[in-house]
Amino acid sequence: MDKILAVAQREFLATVRTKAFLLSVVLLPGLIVGAIYGTHWAQRRAEQEKLPDRHIAVIDYTGQLFADLAAQVLVFNQQRPNQRIELEQIPPHMFDEDALRNRVVRGELYAYLVFAADTIEGDGGCTLARRDKVLEVGRRLEQMINEAVATVRLRSAGIDPTTIAAARRPVPLREVEAQTGQAVTSNITARALTPFAFMFLMFMGTFGISQGLLTSVIEEKSNRVIEVLLSAVSPVQLMAGKILGTAFVGFLLLAVWGAVGFGSAQRYNVADLVSVHRLVLALLYFVPGFLLLAALLAGIGSACNELKDAQSMVFPLSLVTVIPMVFWFYISENPSSVISIVLSFIPPITPFIMILRICADPDTPIWQIAGTLVVLWISVLCAMWAAGKVFRVGVLMYGKPPSLRELIRWVRLA
Amino acid sequence: MDALILEAVTKRFGRFTAVDGFSLRVAPGQVLGFLGPNGAGKTTTLRMVMSIIVPDSGRVEVLGHPDAAQVKDRIGYLPEERGLYRKMTVLETLRYFGRLKGLRGAALHERVDAYLERVGLADWRRKRVEALSKGMSQKLQFVTAILHEPELVILDEPFSGLDPLNVDMLERLLQDLRRRGTTVVFSTHQMNQAERLCDRIVLINRGRKVIEGTVSEVRARFATRFVVLDGEGDLDSLRSIPGIARAQVTAGHARLELADGTDPHSVLRSALERMRVARFEVQRPDLQEIFVRLVSGSPTADREAESV
Repeated sequence: MDKILAVAQREFLATVRTKAFLLSVVLLPGLIVGAIYGTHWAQRRAEQEKLPDRHIAVIDYTGQLFADLAAQVLVFNQQRPNQRIELEQIPPHMFDEDALRNRVVRGELYAYLVFAADTIEGDGGCTLARRDKVLEVGRRLEQMINEAVATVRLRSAGIDPTTIAAARRPVPLREVEAQTGQAVTSNITARALTPFAFMFLMFMGTFGISQGLLTSVIEEKSNRVIEVLLSAVSPVQLMAGKILGTAFVGFLLLAVWGAVGFGSAQRYNVADLVSVHRLVLALLYFVPGFLLLAALLAGIGSACNELKDAQSMVFPLSLVTVIPMVFWFYISENPSSVISIVLSFIPPITPFIMILRICADPDTPIWQIAGTLVVLWISVLCAMWAAGKVFRVGVLMYGKPPSLRELIRWVRLA
Repeated sequence: MDALILEAVTKRFGRFTAVDGFSLRVAPGQVLGFLGPNGAGKTTTLRMVMSIIVPDSGRVEVLGHPDAAQVKDRIGYLPEERGLYRKMTVLETLRYFGRLKGLRGAALHERVDAYLERVGLADWRRKRVEALSKGMSQKLQFVTAILHEPELVILDEPFSGLDPLNVDMLERLLQDLRRRGTTVVFSTHQMNQAERLCDRIVLINRGRKVIEGTVSEVRARFATRFVVLDGEGDLDSLRSIPGIARAQVTAGHARLELADGTDPHSVLRSALERMRVARFEVQRPDLQEIFVRLVSGSPTADREAESV
């Protein structure tokens, strides 16, 4: 046992001291926070940036829309004083489409807009030719055009547009937790991304860290430390120690992230997103989830001499672990669907699917939690058993990596 | 009780027989040189001794146990394929392997310090292994094998790649082990080392034992194999001297291979009757030559191997 601990301790220290680990502790949560808040911040920055005025030529065959559109633009310009829109009315008899097109191309105009004569009564609509394809501006222009047309239509129907606007003002909705009555965080982005963040961190803590096991076994083989090690410890002791050591690395990583997540959730009043309940469940799934991947990767690592051989053997496993990445949004939106339940019983991805479901639905049935954990632990034991056998044969094998069939033979023979 | 017993040990890899019915006994405190060309089966044999690979048939007994794994802490092993963790410091490396060999606490630290001093690596203790020269890392590797002061030390090619200074130092460490009563088995290509260091030698070729005995036994067996004569006269008639197995004669020069039990002195006497001798030399082949001759597979070599 002391030998296992000695191996584990070395493995732990060797991993924790690498720059890659330090980066992953600091950088990855940073990336996630950045992905959530960074784009939001950049968006707001962009809105305040000073841009040259956008000149738009308007040809109004209806003769009624320009004034209302101008009123809309006025409101827009007050909101965005740095990104103003200037309208320029061109009487229909002076409309020369080619000339306007040239001015747009030369950059004198941002766009030209043609209201057909039946824009108000019929379905003729209008034509907009813009210099660029910026989504935000296009969306706002479309809104303003529709508002202007609606206002004119309402007025001609004898209805005061302000009455309609008053009737349509949004109701403030305050969501509270059903059990506690506490306010649910209103930050939609943070809420939607929390399940993903949990899953992603779980993914990094298990798959990301146990990859290190793969490389360290191969490294020990390729720099020939392995034989010295095996003169002191048995292959199974070596494997157990290495898995234990890396498991603590993963645990450390999760503990750091969990603490940071918990702390910042408390601080920014979104405590319900990173609750103790969720963290405990995350840990319950992390341990077997990690051990399963670690056993598989240690087995594969022991059978290979070069990282690229190992990577091609890991590929099917990576393919399976992509499933939660692809389905995360579906699962967090439909945590109790049949597909979600079925996916939670596929061992290597159980932890990821379950953490998504638990974050999305606090009432995930207890039998499913218990059931998935049992299936997971059984597969951990099987994987450990098989990996131990492969490890014993594999660590001293040099040369061509074995095929899957040979691996199965090793498991049977050893 | 012998420290190491191999009985009719055989190991095949597919259709290739690496070790074929090999038997060996090493008494406690003996230093055994394990000789043989590349691919002779030395490493395979030593790996079977260490229970790293399992023989297909035959019996291995190490320090009275059928499985070296049970007595790992009493054995020191320096594999042929060596390596250390490049990112660990010298001190960490020794403490780690010491702990894996069952040393702990203050005893471990003292032992590590003492050995670092002894092999001249004390100033390098905080340096990473990757910063060491090849010779230094070899020394370090050697210390990892003997740090726990085992009863049996198995060294696979301990001298390969060392410069003369380090060879010297390693030989001193080996002599220390011998004085302490440690049983040592080491494989080597270098016969002069085997001659200097070993009580007994065993030569293996193509998985089979070719010769075994103490160095003096082996030497005595082959000590007076050739005499060389230079001079004038009827050199061809030298062939008729009794006890000459074979002769190579050129103008003024003869090289005579002596049959078993022939006294070179009597050959000289007979030669003086037949020619004017300008030079007479008894060639005492060192182990190197014996090795080369036995391994190159002459039929006589095979016959002699059985008779020794």
